[in-house]
Amino acid sequence: MKGWRGSRQGGDSASSPVAVERSLTSSSSIRLGRVQPQAPGHRTVFCNDRDANHLAKYKGNAVSTTKYNVITFLPKGLYEQFRRVANLYFLTISCLSFTPVSPVSPITNVIPLSLVLFVSLVKEAFEDWKRLQNDMTINNSCVDVLQEQRWESIPWKKLQVGDIVRVKQDGFFPADLLLLASTNPDGVCYTETANLDGETNLKIRKALEKTWDYVAPEKASEFKGEIQCEQPNNSLYTFTGNLILQKQTIPIGPNQILLRGCNLRNTEYIVGAVIFTGHETKVMMNAMNVPSKRSTLERKLDKVIATLFGVLLCMCLIGAIGSAVFVNKKYHYLELWISGDSQQFNPRNRFVVFVLSIFTLITLYSPIIPISLYVSIEMIKFIQSTKFINNDLHMYHSETNTPALARTSNLNEELGQVEYIFSDKTGTLTRNLMEFFKCSIGGETYGTGVTEIEMGAARRNGLNIKEKTASNTAREKGFNFDDARLMHGAWRNEPNPDMCKEFFRCLAICHTVLPEGEETPEKLRYQAASPDEAALVTAAKNFGFFFYRRTPTMIYVRESHVEKIGKVQDVTYEILNVLEFNSTRKRQSVVCRYGDGRLVLYCKGADTVIYERLASGNDELKKISREQLEQYGEAGLRTLCLAYRNLSPETYESWNEKFIQAKSSLRDRERKLDEVAELIEKDLTLIGCTAIEDKLQEGVPSCIETLSRAGIKIWVLTGDKLETAINIAYACKLINNDMKQFVISSETDAIREVESRGDQVEIAQFIRETVKNELQKCHEEAQHIVHGSTGQKLSLLIDGKCLMYALDPNLRSTLLSLSLSCSSVVCCRVSPLQKAQVTRLVRKGANKITLSIGDGANDVGMIQAAHVGVGISGMEGMQAVMASDFAIAQFRFLTDLLLVHGRWSYLRLCKVVSYFFYKNLTFTLTQFWYTFQTGYSGQRFYDDWFQSLYNVIFTALPVIIVGLLDKDVNASLSKKYPQLYKQGIDNAFFNWKVVGTLACFSVYQSVIVYNFAIASSTTGLTSAGKILGVWDISTAAFTCLVITVNLRLLMMCNTVTRWHSISVGGSILAWFIFIFIYSLVFVNKGTYFTIYVLMSTAYLYLLAILVPIVALLGDFLYQGAQRWFYPYDYQIVQEIHRHEPESIGAGLLEVGNQLTPEEERRYAFALLPRERSKHTGFAFDSPGYESFFATQQGVSAPQKPWDVIRRASMKPKSKSPRTSRH
Amino acid sequence: MNSNPATPMNPHAPSSSFGGAGSPDSNAPRRNSKRPKYSRFTQQELPACKPILTPKWVISAFMLVTIVFIPIGVASLLASRDVVEIIDRYDNACLQGTKSQKVQSIQDPTRNKTCVRRLTVTKRMKQPIYVYYQLDNYYQNHRRYVKSRSDQQLRNRGDENETSTCKPEHEANGMSIVPCGLVAWSLFNDTYSLSTGNNRTLTINKRDISWKSDRDEKFGSDVFPKNFQNGSLIGGGSLNESIPLNEQEDLIVWMRTAALPTFRKLYGKIEQDIEAGETINVVLENRYNTYSFSGKKKLVLSTSSWLGGKNNFIGIAYLAVGGLCFLLATTFTVIYFVKPRHLGDPSYLSWNRNPGGH
Repeated sequence: MKGWRGSRQGGDSASSPVAVERSLTSSSSIRLGRVQPQAPGHRTVFCNDRDANHLAKYKGNAVSTTKYNVITFLPKGLYEQFRRVANLYFLTISCLSFTPVSPVSPITNVIPLSLVLFVSLVKEAFEDWKRLQNDMTINNSCVDVLQEQRWESIPWKKLQVGDIVRVKQDGFFPADLLLLASTNPDGVCYTETANLDGETNLKIRKALEKTWDYVAPEKASEFKGEIQCEQPNNSLYTFTGNLILQKQTIPIGPNQILLRGCNLRNTEYIVGAVIFTGHETKVMMNAMNVPSKRSTLERKLDKVIATLFGVLLCMCLIGAIGSAVFVNKKYHYLELWISGDSQQFNPRNRFVVFVLSIFTLITLYSPIIPISLYVSIEMIKFIQSTKFINNDLHMYHSETNTPALARTSNLNEELGQVEYIFSDKTGTLTRNLMEFFKCSIGGETYGTGVTEIEMGAARRNGLNIKEKTASNTAREKGFNFDDARLMHGAWRNEPNPDMCKEFFRCLAICHTVLPEGEETPEKLRYQAASPDEAALVTAAKNFGFFFYRRTPTMIYVRESHVEKIGKVQDVTYEILNVLEFNSTRKRQSVVCRYGDGRLVLYCKGADTVIYERLASGNDELKKISREQLEQYGEAGLRTLCLAYRNLSPETYESWNEKFIQAKSSLRDRERKLDEVAELIEKDLTLIGCTAIEDKLQEGVPSCIETLSRAGIKIWVLTGDKLETAINIAYACKLINNDMKQFVISSETDAIREVESRGDQVEIAQFIRETVKNELQKCHEEAQHIVHGSTGQKLSLLIDGKCLMYALDPNLRSTLLSLSLSCSSVVCCRVSPLQKAQVTRLVRKGANKITLSIGDGANDVGMIQAAHVGVGISGMEGMQAVMASDFAIAQFRFLTDLLLVHGRWSYLRLCKVVSYFFYKNLTFTLTQFWYTFQTGYSGQRFYDDWFQSLYNVIFTALPVIIVGLLDKDVNASLSKKYPQLYKQGIDNAFFNWKVVGTLACFSVYQSVIVYNFAIASSTTGLTSAGKILGVWDISTAAFTCLVITVNLRLLMMCNTVTRWHSISVGGSILAWFIFIFIYSLVFVNKGTYFTIYVLMSTAYLYLLAILVPIVALLGDFLYQGAQRWFYPYDYQIVQEIHRHEPESIGAGLLEVGNQLTPEEERRYAFALLPRERSKHTGFAFDSPGYESFFATQQGVSAPQKPWDVIRRASMKPKSKSPRTSRH
Repeated sequence: MNSNPATPMNPHAPSSSFGGAGSPDSNAPRRNSKRPKYSRFTQQELPACKPILTPKWVISAFMLVTIVFIPIGVASLLASRDVVEIIDRYDNACLQGTKSQKVQSIQDPTRNKTCVRRLTVTKRMKQPIYVYYQLDNYYQNHRRYVKSRSDQQLRNRGDENETSTCKPEHEANGMSIVPCGLVAWSLFNDTYSLSTGNNRTLTINKRDISWKSDRDEKFGSDVFPKNFQNGSLIGGGSLNESIPLNEQEDLIVWMRTAALPTFRKLYGKIEQDIEAGETINVVLENRYNTYSFSGKKKLVLSTSSWLGGKNNFIGIAYLAVGGLCFLLATTFTVIYFVKPRHLGDPSYLSWNRNPGGH
């Protein structure tokens, strides 16, 4: 039974709108991501027979996605918390503080720790509660189940395997179902899988013919089938099983399976049998935890904390040695020789004194490690992402109604340090908006449009072509074609009208598009798996071949009459077979029967594959077409060749038998189907070719330009051909002709020649050698240029096949150093795996911060591999977004995300972290200085409560405000001066130098605070001559400390808002309120009444003025001098724009850049390649290509279960409100 | 409601919220815009002042500090200068010999500890004149010492047995000590009686030498010393068992533990003026043992000002800081004129300083 598990590459099949068994290549066991081990054997489901299924003990349909339950919450939640080293440290300290060695009462450490834990646990509980509620609504939603010839509504959770259920239109499938019957004719139903893979186009599922009748409950209750199928697994697009019905075994494929999570569309209701339930459904099996990423700053933080811990140990060691030396019997008043409650100060055993003192002092100095740091950072980042990033109007895309979304709040500041961006091309840089632009029929080229790339080229040559604006009438989405020779039926007068007719028919018939809506040319919309397809069908419509309806066996086309212009006739074509597109085949064919019985195979596909399969002869047409293809390719257009073949009934019949055989085979079905397809797709007759324009996303060139000025290097990783990639790179200003370009391509004659010999081993060896030589040559040259004085910029272009060898461990370092010296790198024809590998190469090898941005499932790997993954949302599948850390609607929003939010987050986080260190270090050091005065006994200077509230109240809020509100320069200046971003890349604000400086100031300030408070208090301090005790002095010192650290925060701010003043003032005030109450209430404390005593002295006031000013004088001097003599860039920018008022609400109307998109693109195309590139721009985007070629090379490319290759159509429909924020 | 696979995948994932399964309206596309609402907070456009530390600001800040600090410093110094302070170290003068001899004799209860000292007043001392004793190298702030007391016991008669914190001086002869603990046990017990050269007795008033809050709240009026200094070791002074703790002001003063190993404590006050040139005869009972740890004992007579006793520190600190700021202000002014720093000069920008150098 194991052989059943035909793992499949790609997911073209998933989007198959055709109700025929799909034909797909079977590939070897290539999958991205983990493969779940499958239980051996198979499951047998007895439909409509609960008792029989009961024996098998299948799992229920209730799902639970919660992390905790009531009982496990506390232990598990606490366990999670204590996995953080910092929390564990404080737990240890808290435990220590319960022992007599502790100089502080347990409160000191327990209160902050419990507060921190409490906050974290509340957050966890809240999140889990949301999950629970979500589960509950899901589990309790109702579905109709067949019970005694009636439909009974029961909650989902009560559903069992084998039940017959009815799902109504727009309802969700409660479990994985076998489709038995549908109200639609022919047992067809439509499903939307947006929840699964994000594709919004409808997919057809078709019931087995045998079960079509079981629609009514009476009939359905008679259904007693037995389903044998594979064990639950996580592969979304495969299913193998058999239905045993009336002793007949019928194979079931994915086409009969309705997956949980999808919903029913355009169908009144369906009847299905439950196969997998609850956690065994495919969608739940796919639920996996995305590994959480930690930011570089946080990892650096760990190091600093480790250092602090080292400092702590040193301090303890000094104190402990001091203590061991100090203890002496001579201090009779201490009665050291009497044990008291511990041996801690027994001078007879100084070693014990030493050891115990270490513990004492660790407890005493524990606040050196800021306990509330992590929780504060989390809070700050959470607000930053949910309030700022998610709500930024600059990053809201109104066309798709998509705001930016921070899916994780861990990485905000990482955005401020990105040095390398890896970008996908299609859908990210380009719109994936395909417009039918030109075509060539029978060697005649049609279409008067001029692409922007051509315009750019023309402009460079001194020509100025005015763009024709909306001169043609028939312009709609997907169709941007104007040529009077073809439009409005004029093609009949062309030299080759028959060819035109075939051309249009091919466009109208050979596709997998689904029409939707009213059957009029204006209102009907096409649902297509790829926008190219939709564009082609739309083109056919505009040429008068309006495809308006499809059934699984028929295609209805409203054709303009062949002879009479203006007349239309409805023609039906019987679709006999569909040989689907996939990346291996790079073509798609349809066998159809005309009304008059004529059998034709229409085929469209990449020029290379079509040309191979053309019948011999007519070389002239082939040659002309090839030239035209190259012209189109050069103009940046994506091409497809169309061809047909007339079939004789005999040929067809004999072939069809083989086809059916292949279709019903259980093993290697896809491979067999491919082989069978190969048999009929030959001796084709070329009709012509189409050219589709791939539009650039709005604002891409200027965004890239800005980012590169910010010191960010952008790499384009695309599955496209080298030439297409180069064109786009030029268009995006990534490459220009002043750059030295290194091209490492496998498309050389030498390699082709070796390949043609077909010896795989030889090919591999040859390419490896070539790549190695090329790399070394380029590397040397690059080194030469880099060290030279020309200052020429470099760029590297490499294709996937070469990259595979270049990523070999031996060559990897050369590749890395070569590519790092290049300012832009374009990798084309790369697989998702290679995208991830390249990303990882830079991340690990160069230790630079990387960001990947992409929109499709093929980008998931690189999104996860990079430090920061960004998904393009709003258009396409959700897979990239699901895997990403941030989702934005447009590539150009990267400027805002990085230069504004990222930079600010970085700045703020640096400030927050350094401030935390500063304030805790200063606090602890005052304590440390006091140790020297107390015979190293570990006597605390401050009251317990001062110490515990210092972190959580007196200094907590202002730093959070700074973490949220501080900004050096405003958003528009951040974008105007992208170079400011470089400081983040260089990590200028949180390096050891900064930490060191900070530590010096901490030492200075603690010395000032401590010594001033002490030195000025030696004599009587009131006019009544009374002397202050330790608690009075420490209260005064603490007052000074609180004022100092709070003011110091204010000094760190670039902007001071109301909230800054309120929080800083409030913190100081909080201290006073606290001490006023505290010293009045706790009579037994040493601090009783101290503040009132102090208030009666001049000492307190003089000290409270003197100490903060003296302590901050150092910082002030440093800051003043730094700004004066070594100003940071941002400071200069602040000064340049110091007189400009903060523009409030400005820039909300204009989005991002000042140029109109049109101007911008023109500007962008101004620098285009001078070299003529010979490429034909094969149109279908084929991200599946890589796995094909990985198979060829014997490389096992792991494939994600969701690896959907097909791109969804751009459905302008507004999605249901899908984002609810937690 | 949905069974969105995303939800279990990642808690941060946007969770879909469709209508209920099969609910009729779930298909109707709800055209609600997800456009974020504008607020100054979320758009990070809160009104703010942006202080820039320009040279002018730096200089003015320094000048301001100078202007404020110098007068305060002068006033403090003057106040401190007005205070007349006489310090007399008597530990060595009252007891000669080697360290062990001293320790032996101080520990011998039978020896006569009386000692006479003569002090000369150089400057007129106006009343009140405060009498302090000052101990050196005495770690009242040692952890073991500080915590060895029971505030509860001192306050409440009922909490007599709350002595757990008082170890090792918590009980003697099986009974709780009141007041317990090392602090009380080591009560300072040297006594001074003063007279002027012309035999005018200078009465030392020992009332109101402690903090009022201590007397009122921390030390109970119904708590009497009990079983005090009855153990095998005598630490210091003993207490009159008929006087409640809140009137034992020496104890109250002693128990307000000092912050440093060198500390003064108020002994009493003299409410008479002493003229310059007068001599003061001090007859003291030198009972307290500081000899074992070589601690100094000093008698201090001091008048006070609004600032308290004689302490130049604050005044000097203010003057020094004021002076330093003046110096800095001058330096910066000079630099400002010699090598002015133009505000907002784009040529300072790093990418303009070394063009092309990335």
